[in-house]
Amino acid sequence: MFRRPIKEINAEFVAEERYLDSIQRIVKEACTAAGMSRRDVTAVLLAIEEGATNIIRHAYLYEKGTLRLRIVVYRKIIAFSLIDSGRSFHPEQTGKIDLEKLVESGRKGGLGFYMISKIMDSVEYISAAGFNELRMLKRIRGLSATDTPPLLRRMFTLRAKFSFFTFLIVSLIIAAAFYFVDRRTKMEVRGHLEDMVWALSSTIADQAAGYYINSRSDVEFDELIVSYTRANPTLKLVVLTDSTGLIRAHSGDISNIRKPYQAPNEIDPQLIGVHQSLDTTQSKLNYLALNIRAGPRFFGRVHTVYSSEPVDEKLAAVRKRIIMFTGLLLLVGILGIYLLSNYFVKPIAKITHRVRRFTSGDLETELPLEGADEFFEIARALNDMMTRLSKDRRNIIEREKMAKEIEVASQIQKTLLPVQLPAIPGLQLDAYYRAASVVGGDLYDVFEIGDGRFCLVVADVSGKGVPASLVMSMLRTVIQIHAVGARSAKQVMLAVDDYLKANIPPGMFITVLLAIYDTSASRLTFVSAGHNPMIYYQAKSGQLKTLNPTGMPLGVPVTLDRDFGSGLEEVSVELDENDLFLVYTDGITEATDRDGNQYGMGRLVEFLQQQLVGDEAIQLSKLAAGIVEELDAFSGFAKQNDDITFILARTEGRKSSSEKHQEPAGRAVIDSQTYRSTDSSASSSPQDGDE
Amino acid sequence: MDNISISLLESGQDKAVSEVRIDGVIDTLTASELEEVIDSLIKRERYKIVIDLAGVDYISSAGWGIFISHIRDVRSNGGDIKLAGMIPNVYEIYELLEFDNVLKSYRSVDDARANFQEAGSSGGGKKKTGSRKP
Repeated sequence: MFRRPIKEINAEFVAEERYLDSIQRIVKEACTAAGMSRRDVTAVLLAIEEGATNIIRHAYLYEKGTLRLRIVVYRKIIAFSLIDSGRSFHPEQTGKIDLEKLVESGRKGGLGFYMISKIMDSVEYISAAGFNELRMLKRIRGLSATDTPPLLRRMFTLRAKFSFFTFLIVSLIIAAAFYFVDRRTKMEVRGHLEDMVWALSSTIADQAAGYYINSRSDVEFDELIVSYTRANPTLKLVVLTDSTGLIRAHSGDISNIRKPYQAPNEIDPQLIGVHQSLDTTQSKLNYLALNIRAGPRFFGRVHTVYSSEPVDEKLAAVRKRIIMFTGLLLLVGILGIYLLSNYFVKPIAKITHRVRRFTSGDLETELPLEGADEFFEIARALNDMMTRLSKDRRNIIEREKMAKEIEVASQIQKTLLPVQLPAIPGLQLDAYYRAASVVGGDLYDVFEIGDGRFCLVVADVSGKGVPASLVMSMLRTVIQIHAVGARSAKQVMLAVDDYLKANIPPGMFITVLLAIYDTSASRLTFVSAGHNPMIYYQAKSGQLKTLNPTGMPLGVPVTLDRDFGSGLEEVSVELDENDLFLVYTDGITEATDRDGNQYGMGRLVEFLQQQLVGDEAIQLSKLAAGIVEELDAFSGFAKQNDDITFILARTEGRKSSSEKHQEPAGRAVIDSQTYRSTDSSASSSPQDGDE
Repeated sequence: MDNISISLLESGQDKAVSEVRIDGVIDTLTASELEEVIDSLIKRERYKIVIDLAGVDYISSAGWGIFISHIRDVRSNGGDIKLAGMIPNVYEIYELLEFDNVLKSYRSVDDARANFQEAGSSGGGKKKTGSRKP
C-alpha cells in the first residue's frame, strides 16, 4: 500500500488564522490532483481546517509559532501531517469521542477532533522532542478504512512475489539444462543407432560383393538379406541393386526383382553413405545407401531403410528420468526459496511488529538484533530512534507531571488565604496577594484570638510547589491553634517553632512576621522569624521607620550557641491615631527590573513617604493599589518571579473607633480580578487587573 | 474576512418560531456572532429555532459546536433546533459526521416551520421524538 510516494508537498506557515486559506488551497490542489472525489475533498478540507485551527488556537495559545504542513501522496492514499512546536494535547483529548456524549455534556470541546477522526481513515497524534504531529490518512476514492491489508497478508504478497520470481529463474535454469542434456542424449543414442546400421549395411555389402563375384543365385541373395532383416528388427527394408540400378534382391517383395530401383522420394539418391530421414509421421524411418565394391569393381548398392523407434523409446525413458530428477530439484528449490524468503521477510515482519508496538505505547522492549547485516543495521537504527523518542516522551510526561503538581500546589495555596479579613475595631486593613507564575509559598492571615486581640501573619516559605504549599498550610493551622488566647507574639512563635521544627523538610525554611494587635490598648507586639522588616509610619512625627526585631527563620538548623528562642526578639509599639504599618514579603523588595536591579526597601520607604506626605489620610486601598502600580512600573515587562504579598494597616481616630465597631473593616484583599488571573495557572504575569 | 450575515425573523403561530437566516461561512472567526444570536434566543426562552442554512457554504466545528452544545438545553424546554435548506456540500458533511443522529434537517424553512406547528398543535410542549407524524 505504501509504495513510493508519487508526490510530497511541504509548506510552512506562521500559525495565524489568516493563513488558513493558503493551507486550504494547497490541500485542495493536492487532493484534486490525486483524483479524490469532490465530496472527500470537501471533507478533508474541513478536517485540515479543524486541525490547523486547533494548533493556532490551543498549541500556540501563549506564543507565536509556525505550523508545518506535509502532504505525501501515494497511489491510493494521501497522508497529511500538521506539525507544530507548541503545547501538546493530553492523550485523553485525542481518544475516541462519542457524539452522544458531546450532546449530553453540552460542551464543544473535542468536536473538532471528532470531526477529524470521522473524516479521515486514520488519525494519529504524536508528541515528541518538542514537536507535535497530527498525522492523518485519507484513502483516495471509496475504499473503506477497514480493508487495510493486515500485516500478514502484506508480508505474504511480498513473500509470494519473491518466491514467484526466484521460482521462475530456477525453473528457467533447469529447463535450459534439461534441453541441453536431452539434446545430447538424443544425439548420442542416434549416433549409436546409425553406427550400428552402418555396420550392418557394410557387412551386407561385403557379403553381397562376394555373391556378385561368385554369381550366386537369386535365392541365395534373397536369403542373405532376409537373414539380416530377421535378425535385426531395426532394419525395415534391405534392397540390393546391381551396377545398372536393377533390383537384385528385395527383403520386402520378391516380385520387384529385376525391376529398376526407385529410391524413396524424400531422399537424395546421389548421397551415398549418408543417413537420411524418411519423415513419415507414424514411424520414424531412415535411409542409408552404401556401394557394393570389391577393390576397384563396383557391383551395385545396398539400400537400407531402418527405424529409429527404439531409440525414441530409449530417449523417452531417459527424459522421464531427467524430468523426475529436475522435478525433485525444483521441489528442493522451492523449499529453499521459502526458507530464504523467511530469512528476509521475518526480520522485516519482526521489526514492523516492534515499531507498531512502540507507536501504540510500549516504549520499553528493544528490537532483537538479529538477521542479516542490513537488518541488524536497521534494527539498531530503529532502536536508537526509539530510545531517543521514549526518552523525550518521558521528559514530556515529567513536564506534564510537574504542571499537574503546580496546579495542585496553587490549589492548596488558594485555600491558605483568608477569603475575608475580619473587622478589627480601630484598625483599617488592606492586604494584597499576587502569585508569581510558578507557585510560590507566600501566606498572610488575619484572625481574632479573643479578648479584643487579633493576630496578623505574613510568611514566606523558601521552597516552591506542593511540598512548600503543604508546609504553608501546616504553618497556617499551627499558628491559628497556638495564637488563640495567646498574650504574646513571642509565645506563639515559640510554640509554632516547637511544633514545626520536627516537621519542616530539611533545606526548607520559613520567614514569618507574626503580630498581635490589642484593640483595647491599641498596642502592636510582634516578632519576626527572619522576615523582612516592618515599615511603621508614625503620624505624630510624620516619620517612617523600619522595625526589624532579631529572629532566625523557622527551619534553620539550631546551633549550640544560638537557639531559636533566645534569638527571638519581641517588639511592642503603642499605636497612635493614624499610625500606619506595612508587613510584606520579599516579593516586593526583591522585585527586579529588566536589568536585574532589585526594587529594595529604600525605594519602598521612599514611595510610602511620598504618598503619606502628600495625603496622610489616603485611603488604604488606594495606597495598596499605588504600591502595586509602583512595583509594576519598576519591573516593567520583567517577569514576576516571586509572590507579592503585603498587609497594610492603619489606626483610626480614637473616638470614632468605638463607633465604627460594627462596620466591616478590611477589604478582602485578593480582589476577584487578581484571583481570577492567578486562576488561569499557566499565564505568566497576571498583571491584567482590568477587564 | 468576517463574512457572515445573520438575520432573525419570528414567525409561526404567536410568532413562536424563530428563524435565523445565515449567509456566508460559519468558522472559528464568525461562529461567535451566531453563538450570540442563539444565546440571546435561549435567554429570551425562545426555544423553537429554525436555522436557515441555504446561504451557508461552509460550517466548521465551531459552527456545529453551537448547535450540538445547545440542542439538549433547547429540547428539554420543549423546543428544537432545526436545520433547513443545507446545500449539498454542507449536507454531505452533516451526514458524514453523523450529525443527522442529533440534529434534524429539512429541505426548506417552510418544512421546518410546518414541523414545529404540527408538533405544536398535536402535542403542545410535550416531549417530542424525531417522527414527523404520529
